[in-house]
Amino acid sequence: MTEPAFTDSGLPVEPCYGPADLPAAHDAERPGQAPFTRGIRPGMYRERPWAIRQLAGYSTADHTNRRLRMLLDSGATAINTVFDFPTNRGYDSDEAIARADAGQGGVAIDSVEDMLALYDGIPLDRVSVSLVLSHPVAAGAVFALYLAAAERRGYRFGDLRGTLQNDFMMETVVLTAPSVLEPGFSFQLSTDVVEFCLQQVPRWNAISYAGYNYREAGADAVHEVALVVAHAVATAEEMVRRGHPVDSFAGRLTAFFSADNDFFEEIAKYRAARRVYARIFGERLKAAEARSLMLRYHVQTAGSALTAQQPLNNIARAAYQGLAAVLGGAQSLHISAYDEALSIPSEQAALTALHTQLILRHETGVDRTADPLAGSYYVEHLTAEIDRRVTGLLEQIDAMGGLVAAVDQGWVHQQLLGRAYERQLELDAGSRTLVGVNRFQDEDEPLRIEPFRVPATIEAQRRRLARLRAARDRDRVRSALEEVRAAAVAGRNTMPGLLDAARAGATLGECCEVFRDLYGGWRQPLIG
Amino acid sequence: MDRIRVVMAKPGLDSHYRGIMVVSRHLVRHGMEVVYLGNQLPEQIVQTVLAEDADVLGLSSLSGNHLALVPPVLQGLRAVGADDVPVLLGGIVPAEDADLLRAQGVSEVFGPGTDLTSIVRMIRELVARREGALAVVPLP
Repeated sequence: MTEPAFTDSGLPVEPCYGPADLPAAHDAERPGQAPFTRGIRPGMYRERPWAIRQLAGYSTADHTNRRLRMLLDSGATAINTVFDFPTNRGYDSDEAIARADAGQGGVAIDSVEDMLALYDGIPLDRVSVSLVLSHPVAAGAVFALYLAAAERRGYRFGDLRGTLQNDFMMETVVLTAPSVLEPGFSFQLSTDVVEFCLQQVPRWNAISYAGYNYREAGADAVHEVALVVAHAVATAEEMVRRGHPVDSFAGRLTAFFSADNDFFEEIAKYRAARRVYARIFGERLKAAEARSLMLRYHVQTAGSALTAQQPLNNIARAAYQGLAAVLGGAQSLHISAYDEALSIPSEQAALTALHTQLILRHETGVDRTADPLAGSYYVEHLTAEIDRRVTGLLEQIDAMGGLVAAVDQGWVHQQLLGRAYERQLELDAGSRTLVGVNRFQDEDEPLRIEPFRVPATIEAQRRRLARLRAARDRDRVRSALEEVRAAAVAGRNTMPGLLDAARAGATLGECCEVFRDLYGGWRQPLIG
Repeated sequence: MDRIRVVMAKPGLDSHYRGIMVVSRHLVRHGMEVVYLGNQLPEQIVQTVLAEDADVLGLSSLSGNHLALVPPVLQGLRAVGADDVPVLLGGIVPAEDADLLRAQGVSEVFGPGTDLTSIVRMIRELVARREGALAVVPLP
């Protein structure tokens, strides 16, 4: 007798699978055809390789610009910029609450001047730029700074290619902030960007549903997919309510998934996610165009799977996770660096992560054929089972009145926190193994990795802010901010006002304070 | 003995709450009372420790702001005569920074991989030690 076994997300696993476990429909599925279980293109990576998009960002725009160029020069094919804690939450670097976090965990951006320095020398019409700016309180405002900077460099909005994260669950569920916007308003701000891009920045992906971060906060693979799909449904329904046909914008909705430790479950997760998404957009939202049914996504290997103990082990973990992402059909990938449980990545760690991708791309041969695991008894069974469980969760979310209501009621918070807590108990009890942490620990002095130290940031930001504030036309800034406020109150799109404010030299903090003043102070239902 | 009262806070703008909420949930399951402040500046954290008559202060920092924001909390507690309240720090804190902060008065620093049981045990020990010390000091 064998003991019962389960995947990381609790799916039961048999010791052996066979033809009887294959779902009836799988035979008819083709890559590049709805429901896209097998990938969004007929020839997958033969047609278009995944984007090697390593995340970078720390300290000032000048420091990060150097890191971005280093990655591009070393083989990265796209850019992924992460912003510091104050920028994501919409504070200027020199505000009291922000100073200690300026430049931490990402790059500090206060105004259009910083945005010019950040992408200096990088061709914004040729390199796809992902802005990992998650909180809607600041996402639209930071995107407006990006547009204003691009405009000053002579680009037309129609030339710009990239992605903005812009996920209201990041603001209201996944992370904390001193003053969180009400979920309904945060969601409206995120939809403003989707609507604005549809009208003016057509090649830009206005939203990227951050399943990765739901996972990092505690979700399992099934919740990760269900929350991403529920979120896409919420955006689509709101856009339709605003008068836009689903096929006009659905092709620009994207997602961001984790690649965690459970190898086959992760591969099945991506396949199931595409299948559910295509079905819901087709059957429920009545999208007709193929592109509207395609779930396109970036993957990052799981930061929470990395250990501070025996840190070089993380290179092996991230390589397996990256392999799962590619076998699952990702459009774009970041492999995490081995020192990320200790600090933001050092240059050496960042390059090792990049090289791991280059080995995957150029040495393993896994990109030669589309969806190589299709037809596997086990993978097809897991794909169908995840689909079934995701569909059940979606019905539960619908019964609560949709995702925004589920967030408002604290249901999502409790789902994620409950699982995070259970997982920690499993680690403590030893029923879940983490090499180097709860088993196979070092008895000798552990390998010490020198943590990367973020260069001092606040003084440089203070100087830049002082220069900006002295030089700008105050009346123009004031009237732009008044328009942002008026639009927010009236329920009009806030993006045109934010863009004028950015052009006039308004700071990020000034823009976001308008939103916090109107709709801030929501208490996250974290205590269960 | 009354229930142990723990004030938990995230100094500054660090936004990762998974660790502090998992620990908070565990402390509550083990009979303690937790006051969770979310993001606060050092002055507000010190005021809450006083107002809530906390037995222990738990801080969580994963953003790299620990050297800028933990020492002001310790100084603030000293300034109001509450430096006998043990301060625990969890999160991502390089070993040499942890040494520095312990030297300045942090009772313990819990890094990645810490098990929940050892946090509960540490809090109970620190509270027992403090109550023992309080018992021999006559109240003013």
